Amino acid sequence: MGLMDQVELPQPVKYVFNWGRKYSLWCFNFGLACCAIEFIAASTSRHDFIRHGVIPFAHGPRQADLLVVSGTLTDKMAPAVKRLYEEMPEPKYVISFGSCANCGGPYWDSYSVTKGVDQIIPVDVYVPGCPPRPEALLDGIIALQDRIQHESLKDRIAGRRLDPVTLGADAPLALEGR
Amino acid sequence: MSGVLARRDRALTPEETEELLRDRLGDGVRNSLQEFGIFTVWIAQDSWSEAARRCRDEPLLAYDMFDHLTAVDAREHGFDVLVVLYSTSTGNRIVLRTRCEGGREAPTCPSITETYRGANWMEREAYDMFGIDFPGHPSLEPRLLTVENFEGYPLRKDFHLTSRAAKPWPGVAEPKELDEEGNVIEKEARIGDAPGPYELDKAMAEQAKLANPLPEPETVEGEIAEELAEDAQVAPDSGEVLAGTGEQAAETLEKQATEQAAADADAETQGSAQAARAKAEQRRQEQVAARARKAAERADPGSGGAAADGIDQETFDRLIAEGKSERIARSKAKAAYIKRQRAEQRAAEGEDDGGEQDA
Ligand code: SF4
Repeated sequence: MGLMDQVELPQPVKYVFNWGRKYSLWCFNFGLACCAIEFIAASTSRHDFIRHGVIPFAHGPRQADLLVVSGTLTDKMAPAVKRLYEEMPEPKYVISFGSCANCGGPYWDSYSVTKGVDQIIPVDVYVPGCPPRPEALLDGIIALQDRIQHESLKDRIAGRRLDPVTLGADAPLALEGR
Repeated sequence: MSGVLARRDRALTPEETEELLRDRLGDGVRNSLQEFGIFTVWIAQDSWSEAARRCRDEPLLAYDMFDHLTAVDAREHGFDVLVVLYSTSTGNRIVLRTRCEGGREAPTCPSITETYRGANWMEREAYDMFGIDFPGHPSLEPRLLTVENFEGYPLRKDFHLTSRAAKPWPGVAEPKELDEEGNVIEKEARIGDAPGPYELDKAMAEQAKLANPLPEPETVEGEIAEELAEDAQVAPDSGEVLAGTGEQAAETLEKQATEQAAADADAETQGSAQAARAKAEQRRQEQVAARARKAAERADPGSGGAAADGIDQETFDRLIAEGKSERIARSKAKAAYIKRQRAEQRAAEGEDDGGEQDA
């Protein structure tokens, strides 16, 4: 990576490089509650996110590029998620899947539930729903891939992230003029 | 022990069980009750461990399986601890229940981990959630279910959820409210409708209601629009005229609503609830004024005194006499008034049409 964090890659190289990155996302599923079932549904043959180049069941956080937090995150569990995230190598991405992971969801007033995973780790894409349909996860993955394609790795390594995308709330990809 | 698992023929009846326990524990057994098929024995605090041991070791009882241990908040009486035991040889189930010493401040209950090792984590849970101390327990700390530095005991009735201080619970009371005739009162869920049992909850709910006003006239207008729409459907021959006006009314209402929603959203993004409230208030006043103007325009000077405030006085009086609430009566009367007006208008137009055709 020595060079990449110093200089901006020339456009064609960047294009090919990002194209390669966006279609080989090793994904680590942090399944915490009901939403994890939808994640699993998305990974199986009907919805099959492997065809989008997302490879589920990374062997561990150290081999993963993408962390999907799906389910209810409690204060007790939060340190584990934080640690897992920190074990992942840069550049790393986070999808917050489901209302619980986004903001606490139905447990917004609970004494034990963290009010959103973004309280402890930065999130790239929020997928709303309780639980979101597997299609929503596919949408989220495509949104993330779109962002990887247009990203400057130099910025990313320097820790400059783009603002997170919220599915449904932000303009659809097609309207962003890309 | 025989190979048969649950020998119900050998099982003691609840009465016999109580008698046996009384015999062994003396005053340790306070009383017993049987409801919903569950046999509960109240045990004095001093005899708690002894009772558990007897239940397990008496050959006639043989409650060899520890099922569950939990606590109950008994409000001003402090806390109860109860334990559910099961006998695999007789198929009996029993609940032992005791009131903790130390009231609400420092509830304590002897541990039964000596007798049932499975009670270990259950007692830790009761400690986490209710703050009950179990002398004789190997180690209640570190806290099992909550984070280490957690303040308070979340399942106590007087525990306050901090999130609700910032945003009140938006739910409504269950079960549904009924009117005198036993019909379910259909009410739109409103923020702050179901406060908790404590003073602070109620105060918060009141504040929430103030912060989220529900403009009453709007629902009245909505009802009228609905009735008009219904009218348009049931009167197909004069449908065109009526549907036109009904739709128009509905449209303007809808537009108002969306505009208001948009404005609300704007205000919210600016992060100033105060301003939003003030704006909403202002808008409502404007709407009320506009409505009054409209009503005045509509009011036919010839059609009597009731037209002044746009309600059908007759209907209003009748409904009030029937014991309906004033709000409902007013809305119905208003609808009736508007209906009547439309009918008059229709009749007039019909005459015009007839005249033209004749000519
Ligand atoms: S968002 Fe809904 S479905 Fe998902 S984990 Fe929370 S409660 Fe379960």
